[in-house]
Amino acid sequence: MDKMNHSSAEAEAETIEPLRYLSKGEAAAIETELLRDYRFGQQQLIEIWGHACALAITKAYPLGSLSKKQPTVLVICGPDQNGSIGLVCARHLRMFEYEPTIYHPKRSPHSLHQDFTVQCEKMDIPFLSYLPTEVQLINDAYNLVIDAMLGPEADCVNIKEPYSGILVTLKQVKIPIASVDMPSGWDVEEPSQDGIHPEVLISLTAPKKCAMSFSGKHFLAGRFLPYDIQKKYELNLPDYPGTDCLIEL
Amino acid sequence: MVQMWQSKGEAAAIETELLRDYRFGQQQLIEIWGHACALAITKAYPLGSLSKKQPTVLVICGPDQNGSIGLVCARHLRMFEYEPTIYHPKRSPHSLHQDFTVQCEKMDIPFLSYLPTEVQLINDAYNLVIDAMLGPEADCVNIKEPYSGILVTLKQVKIPIASVDMPSGWDVEEPSQDGIHPEVLISLTAPKKCAMSFSGKHFLAGRFLPYDIQKKYELNLPDYPGTDCLIEL
Repeated sequence: MDKMNHSSAEAEAETIEPLRYLSKGEAAAIETELLRDYRFGQQQLIEIWGHACALAITKAYPLGSLSKKQPTVLVICGPDQNGSIGLVCARHLRMFEYEPTIYHPKRSPHSLHQDFTVQCEKMDIPFLSYLPTEVQLINDAYNLVIDAMLGPEADCVNIKEPYSGILVTLKQVKIPIASVDMPSGWDVEEPSQDGIHPEVLISLTAPKKCAMSFSGKHFLAGRFLPYDIQKKYELNLPDYPGTDCLIEL
Repeated sequence: MVQMWQSKGEAAAIETELLRDYRFGQQQLIEIWGHACALAITKAYPLGSLSKKQPTVLVICGPDQNGSIGLVCARHLRMFEYEPTIYHPKRSPHSLHQDFTVQCEKMDIPFLSYLPTEVQLINDAYNLVIDAMLGPEADCVNIKEPYSGILVTLKQVKIPIASVDMPSGWDVEEPSQDGIHPEVLISLTAPKKCAMSFSGKHFLAGRFLPYDIQKKYELNLPDYPGTDCLIEL
């Protein structure tokens, strides 16, 4: 079942088509088309998504609203695209005067992903060598955690170390979690019963099926999807305000 | 204002460092710059302020990086519901630049096959022209066709011109006497020396430059408001 679009609450609500929530296959197909037919580059897309994620974080957690003395943010990055989006997000948060710290336990061998890592290192963003298992240390040091570990392409059934361990830790933290594209560990098409429960979800391009009953703050981020793809997959994306590249659903 | 205006050498050196040492990618930088340019255009020429019935914009793109930035700018303007038309007479053979062209074609952005020399046709059809032909790396002394001809045409148009990074045909370090006179200049990353006496609307666009580079080149960039990636100088 498709969810009604809440963001266009004005008079024409009845005539607006509902927003589409993507299956794993559709999400993958759209990305393949973007790269193969529309000739977008992975580097370009990751930059677009990471920047939009950072903007969503500043909307959900404005600098002035953070409770700790320093505007610290822990960004946990996985080995693939979701992780690189987290790296770009961290870099932009640094430009927006947040203080991100990155935990990036498994580095991809691909130079594309390595480049994003170097960009963060050269911004003097600290990289943790290990994640404390003592949850109170995390609660005390950071205002929030950005989960950029596993995206829709990941296998949610066989979650390997170190991510399975990190997810156990995240289930115990008291500070808010904001997930990039989908909560790590969730099935793309099913909300999770015993997975992590982020306060904020930043869906990229279009939301996934697992987000249909997401009860936290849900952003749609990234405003670049060609109209032909939107029509082909009947995405019915909401109208973004002004020149914003994100919208709260 | 403390030292902020770049020479040709400094502009080139910063870009080299960004690619070589900071491992930014050209594709990534062009996307960042093009998006910021589009935002500057929406600030300088909001949709509601355009005088013609349709929000048409002519984007003239050169063969190299400046042109690709123009292509990305056009693509984002299309997302912002402007109606860009692109004139891109000489395509680069590099797949990077070709990819940006395909992205625009797949957004159904029209590409002109020639630029009318009848200036009134341009004045009538478009609200403004975005000049994304020649950047700081170009040779401003020996401007080849078709750009020399396009510049002649641009000097006669009555609609506003907005230039990407620097007005095409200008020397990087000297304001031009007889070159084009854009109404808006969108400097990328840091303004160039030729813009010191620029009298039109001047934006600084692109908010990604690592602090180390800012310090090393003593750029003294202004504080961008909030999460904006551009600021009016």
